[in-house]
Amino acid sequence: MPAKDVFGRAFPVILLTAVVAICVSLLTYVGSITLPRIEALEVQKIQGMLSGMFPDMSRYTFEDEIYAIYSDEVRIGYAFVAVGKGYGGAINILVGLEDEATIKGITVISHTETPGLGSRITEDLFTGQFVRLSVDDAALRRDGGQIDAITGATISSRAVADAVRITAMEKVKVLEDSEEGG
Amino acid sequence: MGKFAQEFAKGLIITNPVLVLLLGLCPALAVSTSIDNALGMTLAVLIVLLGSNIIIAAMRNFVPSITRIPIFIVIIATLVTVVNLLFHAYLPDLHETLGIYLPLVVVNCIVLGRAEAFASKNPVVRSIADALGMTVGFMLALLMISLIRQMLGTGEMSVFGVHFFSLPVLSSRPVAIFILPPGGFLVIGLLLGLFKWTGVLKR
Repeated sequence: MPAKDVFGRAFPVILLTAVVAICVSLLTYVGSITLPRIEALEVQKIQGMLSGMFPDMSRYTFEDEIYAIYSDEVRIGYAFVAVGKGYGGAINILVGLEDEATIKGITVISHTETPGLGSRITEDLFTGQFVRLSVDDAALRRDGGQIDAITGATISSRAVADAVRITAMEKVKVLEDSEEGG
Repeated sequence: MGKFAQEFAKGLIITNPVLVLLLGLCPALAVSTSIDNALGMTLAVLIVLLGSNIIIAAMRNFVPSITRIPIFIVIIATLVTVVNLLFHAYLPDLHETLGIYLPLVVVNCIVLGRAEAFASKNPVVRSIADALGMTVGFMLALLMISLIRQMLGTGEMSVFGVHFFSLPVLSSRPVAIFILPPGGFLVIGLLLGLFKWTGVLKR
């Protein structure tokens, strides 16, 4: 087969490979310039949420997936991320604890719940119910807790309440264990 | 009317991508729950469609037909990912509002449809006009659908956090079905029927 024919037949493959190579390089480049910014934004977001929850926060540490919140070197609380299984997927919630048994407050970090129904878990009307609530009471009323579910969004509401309660209990256990050990 | 204007204008009504070509119905249904989403989606589609139309029109003379679809898809997917990353880094609020629908632009048939039907056969300048026209047509359709859905489904008229007015009864008792998937089908179906009936979209 003459060389020209071989090239002609291989051309589609060569072109596709070249296009993919160019696209991959472009993506790698864009990814590398945006990654630091995206990460910085994430940190900023968490920091903003933490200081919204603990207005007296002067600094925080992050260890064992638990944020310890300090105000002038005095520990004023803990925070951690709880993941609930919502109606539309995972719900990430930042939970703040005042002490081992009391919730300071919650903030929904991200979710994919139904707009207008489940998405109302982000509203103060719902999240406000968790403020100063005992960890044990973080459950829907019909499940024996203190939280009023959002009308038409029982699954989302329950996912949040249960995730908060269960994760808080786990984290408190981790904290107690580490205190005993240390 | 110049060629450029002609290619631009056809996307608005005569071959409106959503209402006439019935392309991109998936994003049109998914993101038309609020005007914010509709406008954010339009911005993403504008960047991707403009980029893909320009690149594909520029490459049209040497892309072999046998591998054209994979090449188009790779180019479109790359553009979508770039837009996704840039939005994430520089427009985090918009990125959050659009959520999963932003990466889903890659399966928006309007983008591949225009690449295949127009950009691969026409010069760059006319492909730019085509991309702009199609995007504006997409925006008009999305705005119409999302306006109805947002009004009925939430009773609130607000755009990007700026609140304009609330409807008296609907804001306290919104018809939630309109911002759920079935509401999207209802609204788009009724709009299509209305346009067919009144003959607005007659070619």
